[in-house]
Amino acid sequence: MNTQELFETFRDAAAHPKKQLDAYLAAGEKVVLTAPVYVPEEIIHAMGLVPMGAWGADLPLARSKEYFPAFICSIMQSILELGIRGEYDGASAIVIPSLCDSLKCLGENWKYAVPTIPFIPMTYPQNRWGEVGTAFTKAGYERVIADLEKATGAKFDEEKLTASIRVYNRHNDAMRRLAAALPRHPEVTARQRSDLFKSAFFMKKETHTALVEELLGQWGEGSQAGEKVPVMTTGILCDSPALLDIFDELGLRIVADDVAAESRQYRTDTPDGLAPLDALSEKFARMGLCSVLYHPKKERLEYIAKTAKEKGAKGVIVVLTKFCDPEEFDYPLLKKACSATGLPVALVEVDRQMEDFEQARTLLEAFKVMLV
Amino acid sequence: MAEEVKQVRKPPDPNSAKYKLGQIAAKAYTDVIEAKARGEKIGWVSSNFPVEIPETLGIPVCYPENQAAAIAARGGGERLCQEAEGDGYSNDICAYARISLAYAKLGSAPEQDMPLPDFVLCCSNICDCMIKWYENLSRELNIPLIMLDIPFNPDYEVSDAEVAYVKGQFLAAIRQMEELTGKKWTEEKFQEVMKNSCRTSRAWLEATSCAKYTPSPFNGFDLLNHMAVMVTARGKAEAADAMETLLKEYQENHETGKSTFRGEEKYRIMFEGIACWPWLRVTSTGLKSRGINMVTTIYADAFGFIYDDFDGMIRAYCKVPNAINLELARDKRVKLCKANSVEGLLVHVNRSCKLWSGFMNEMSRQIGAECDIPVVSFDGDQADPRNFSEAQYDTRVQGLMEIMEARKGGEGA
Ligand code: SF4
Ligand code: SF4
Repeated sequence: MNTQELFETFRDAAAHPKKQLDAYLAAGEKVVLTAPVYVPEEIIHAMGLVPMGAWGADLPLARSKEYFPAFICSIMQSILELGIRGEYDGASAIVIPSLCDSLKCLGENWKYAVPTIPFIPMTYPQNRWGEVGTAFTKAGYERVIADLEKATGAKFDEEKLTASIRVYNRHNDAMRRLAAALPRHPEVTARQRSDLFKSAFFMKKETHTALVEELLGQWGEGSQAGEKVPVMTTGILCDSPALLDIFDELGLRIVADDVAAESRQYRTDTPDGLAPLDALSEKFARMGLCSVLYHPKKERLEYIAKTAKEKGAKGVIVVLTKFCDPEEFDYPLLKKACSATGLPVALVEVDRQMEDFEQARTLLEAFKVMLV
Repeated sequence: MAEEVKQVRKPPDPNSAKYKLGQIAAKAYTDVIEAKARGEKIGWVSSNFPVEIPETLGIPVCYPENQAAAIAARGGGERLCQEAEGDGYSNDICAYARISLAYAKLGSAPEQDMPLPDFVLCCSNICDCMIKWYENLSRELNIPLIMLDIPFNPDYEVSDAEVAYVKGQFLAAIRQMEELTGKKWTEEKFQEVMKNSCRTSRAWLEATSCAKYTPSPFNGFDLLNHMAVMVTARGKAEAADAMETLLKEYQENHETGKSTFRGEEKYRIMFEGIACWPWLRVTSTGLKSRGINMVTTIYADAFGFIYDDFDGMIRAYCKVPNAINLELARDKRVKLCKANSVEGLLVHVNRSCKLWSGFMNEMSRQIGAECDIPVVSFDGDQADPRNFSEAQYDTRVQGLMEIMEARKGGEGA
């Protein structure tokens, strides 16, 4: 494939998850949905099942309101909406982690709203370090395994997990190299950039890795040059085409991100030298720098400021999913931490029902003026 | 009115439960203020952090949630919420957290002062929001944070893995606090605290269960006031004594046909959710004026910390209201409704509390079906007065009353 074809492939997968799902099902594969923010996909993969990200979609809400009050984030609302509407039909289970209050509620509602797709909870510890924390993570994984075996009939095998961990570490590496190369490719639009990350949730990791590596192979050195103003994005999700188009139209170029659905997924590898399930638990212990993971010193704030500087971003754009507690609590302190290093911060509130992006445009326009 | 009768306030009876409980609640603040003045290290603690730890170690602590409720009840909620919003906190964030973070910055509030902490103790068993809130306190005030993580349990029973996880953290938290304050944990003191906590809890459970009588010997709004003592002081002997007095009074009320619910009790409901502190009078009058007594709330069950040993204590903390799955949460409420002859459920959809409200629709549907009672909800907030509409509340309560009336064979039957 040439570069353009590669981008088309990423776009196609990112824009049509349902098509991907149906294709897997038609090929006789069993699909397991994975809710935000972190799910041990390696386990699902090792059991011969296809993990597919379920991060909701931009659509109007009707049925989810029978369960959720209006002040729950639109990611949770739209996942439930899609579930009730039958968009996920055919999936064998959904794994929902316990990483924020709204996610806990999604699981409880799911049992009654979408009874045909079994809910599998992944309860993580927030004190995830040390023996006590990793033992609890491991117990959580074991529970997921038992539930998956029940829901799908598939069997778990340690050796296969070792192999799957390798697949995922390699994908992490490819994604990190991709993120590092992107600043030297100003020709990549914000939407194309988003497609690169978003497609990873809907494709098999081996396939996605191969495509990303192929792209990197074609890319060569690239160059930083260009008119666009470099910025860094942070938030849970930044995949709204309308918003991303505004970035391009205004000439804002994303040179780094701290988005949960993008780079946060790929920062931590599973370490070698431990039994596979222990290694996976240790991976979770080593994760951090994320609003849904307890971090007593909130190092992520300095991390964002530092990364933005290193990558040459002139400002940080917080793409805040409305009603997202974890992000809303971090925002005032993030602003402070960035200001301390002279980095301007813009706040754009988004949700998945947003149709009018004019306010966002005006805000980003003013922000850009400030940066140049 | 021309003939206004001047009320002569009777001096409070120092042997009454109300007096005793009021004293304990007030002392919760004065003790800490005095300790701070003496140069002792004091902490802020989240409401469902095991009180056994600071109590056994003799560490003076106070409770931001109680403070926020007090500030909100006295009219300061909006001011402090806006202060936090001015710093960039979204108005979607729990109003207790907004008030507390604003207070931490200002250092004082005329509605309810509390000394600033030297460390904070956070327990995540009621929400993850708490973790974020305490992280911010710790960072902004540059003080240590001790975090006890008790995860939301998606299962009906508490697993051994969860107990082991929580126990490991418990022991670590004790060690950390010993180092921080120089105070020592002793088994003897722990036994005493455990005994008090169980005594207080037992009396509370029994007192609240007096609502089984018709009419109920108390107005359920009383429970909201007494809760502060259950939160802060259940490990103290005075609290056990005061709760036992409360129980005695309720029993006497029942025997003599009295009640703290003024007027005729025509309907009996369960109230679901945290009180709307800024609108306490409005919400209470809306019920009282219609002869509706809120005879029970989940708080009746929530403070039943009864256990025999360390592991039992841990299991109890793993089962606080916001840490349990829909089925267990539902069954606890169904039990309360049935035991107290509840005729309707009034649900506060609390904008502050995502976890409490996030699966309430489905749960209350199930409770309504299981108990065969009408369910009505209203929108509100525990501490931000801007998220409540008096008119909506009134219409909803009226609606609930009419259904209950019709079911009694009143009009139209
Ligand atoms: S967007 Fe925020 S509130 Fe919503 S599920 Fe994700 S972390 Fe939770
Ligand atoms: S009201 Fe809800 S969100 Fe706020 S502290 Fe209490 S449990 Fe947490």
